[in-house]
Amino acid sequence: MMERKVVEKEISIGPVHPALIEPYRIRLFVNDEIVEDCEININMAYRGIERLLEGLPVEKALLITERVCGICSNVHTWNSVRVVEAGLRIEVPDRANYIRVLINEIQRIASHLIFFGHAFEVLGHETFAMRSFLLREVFMDLMAYIGGNRVMPAVPVIGGIRPRADLTDSLKRVISERINDFEKKYREYVERILADSMIMSRLTGVGLLSKEDAIKYHATGPNGRASGWNYDIRTLMHEYEPFDFEVIVLNEGDNKARVVQRALEVFECLKIIRQILKNLPEGPIVNRDWIPGKMNYTISYFEAFRGELMHSCALDSQGLIRGYKIRTPTPTNLAAMERACVGDHITDAILTIASCDPCLTCCTRVEVINFDESKTMTVMDIMKKYGRR
Amino acid sequence: MGLKAIARKNAIHAMLVYTGGCNGCDIEVVNAIFSPRYDIEQYRVLITWNPREADVLIVTGCVTWQMVEPLKKLYSLIPDPKGVVAVGACAINGNVYKNMVGDIGVNEEVFAPVDNIIPVDVKVPGCAPRPEDIIMGAVKAVPKLMEAP
Repeated sequence: MMERKVVEKEISIGPVHPALIEPYRIRLFVNDEIVEDCEININMAYRGIERLLEGLPVEKALLITERVCGICSNVHTWNSVRVVEAGLRIEVPDRANYIRVLINEIQRIASHLIFFGHAFEVLGHETFAMRSFLLREVFMDLMAYIGGNRVMPAVPVIGGIRPRADLTDSLKRVISERINDFEKKYREYVERILADSMIMSRLTGVGLLSKEDAIKYHATGPNGRASGWNYDIRTLMHEYEPFDFEVIVLNEGDNKARVVQRALEVFECLKIIRQILKNLPEGPIVNRDWIPGKMNYTISYFEAFRGELMHSCALDSQGLIRGYKIRTPTPTNLAAMERACVGDHITDAILTIASCDPCLTCCTRVEVINFDESKTMTVMDIMKKYGRR
Repeated sequence: MGLKAIARKNAIHAMLVYTGGCNGCDIEVVNAIFSPRYDIEQYRVLITWNPREADVLIVTGCVTWQMVEPLKKLYSLIPDPKGVVAVGACAINGNVYKNMVGDIGVNEEVFAPVDNIIPVDVKVPGCAPRPEDIIMGAVKAVPKLMEAP
């Protein structure tokens, strides 16, 4: 028998490609149609946000932090507000906290429904993708009613929420009606996904990510929870204390687990929204009794829709921002995605990456590592070696 | 209306290019074209990902330096007559990334108005624009295609 000759090939996809909505480049190192290694290059959307924030007043910074990402805009606004509130010890009224949680859970559902749309479009099942975009419109409408904009509701301000976003009785009734209607349709939708043997055979057993790997690469959020890692910062946050919800943890760690985990998490979000509408306290919505001043370096962790999010900054004596840092969930999830692709057929690679729900606009930053001397290069080293860019 | 114009009117293909920015406009464009609620396909505007097939180029996002050359290349690949729709505040004037800077003064990462790089026919303002406005913008680019020789 003749020995089979093995040729290793590189397949490069991107930055503009039908399967990728955002600009990024995937390099797949393929051996006999089996993926041996994967590399994702992400720096197409670098805008220098952390540098822009340097020297701005804190109130103005909210406008930029909201535009870090268009899918999870409320998360970034709320977390940048939390940093300042923690550092300057500003009390937030209860009613404001409840409405912040409400808009966050509404956006979490919208984000998970985008995920279904993207994943099923990549999988080739356009009916389910369109159906999920149709279901999502309920929550885009609710965001427009509460905040005034479908994508950027801009609800939190420092010390509370914007007066426009206060809930009236009629708005509460509209929200509860829409949510009841949505839940009925969504339950049918999920049951149809789980009963569809073609989709399940495409998802089951592909893109395995073990619990050890998830912890090693720090795949937080739904990806880690689908691999059996019980890690959710919402359980530690004082804003979420009044609410009763479960953290969904699945043990399989394949593409099916990642889809089902998000599908079940939507029901928990609906549970939280119902509790907010039932127990919303009366009272003021914003605390204006604060002045910007000197603040030490403060860090705030937050459970974004894709995992753990960190914002941190300091203020100088005039109340201007110094040293803003953002770490979004995707940089750590990227390493887990690269790991999950390995060992599968090349047709499943894009599906595996889509099932990890990458959000690459918010995670682009400079990170050059010099392997020869095994040290991380500083900004000055990079400028000396490569110039301005 | 000549035969050419009728033929062009019946199959207008739009291509979406995303050049940085925050993803918000991008998803609204996909929403406007793809989702069943707005459904731009009822006006016979179809989405494509092949520049040689496209008639209308929809550009979103502030143009980052890595996307300048790909954008020029994509524009040159589209056959004449062609229309360009700039969607969102980033594509029109650079939004917060260009206009709200702190200590650095000028943000050199952003090459913002798309006008600087390729000629733009229709501008759709908003952050993010509503899908109704995006449909309006894409339909306004149509007469230019039909009146071309």
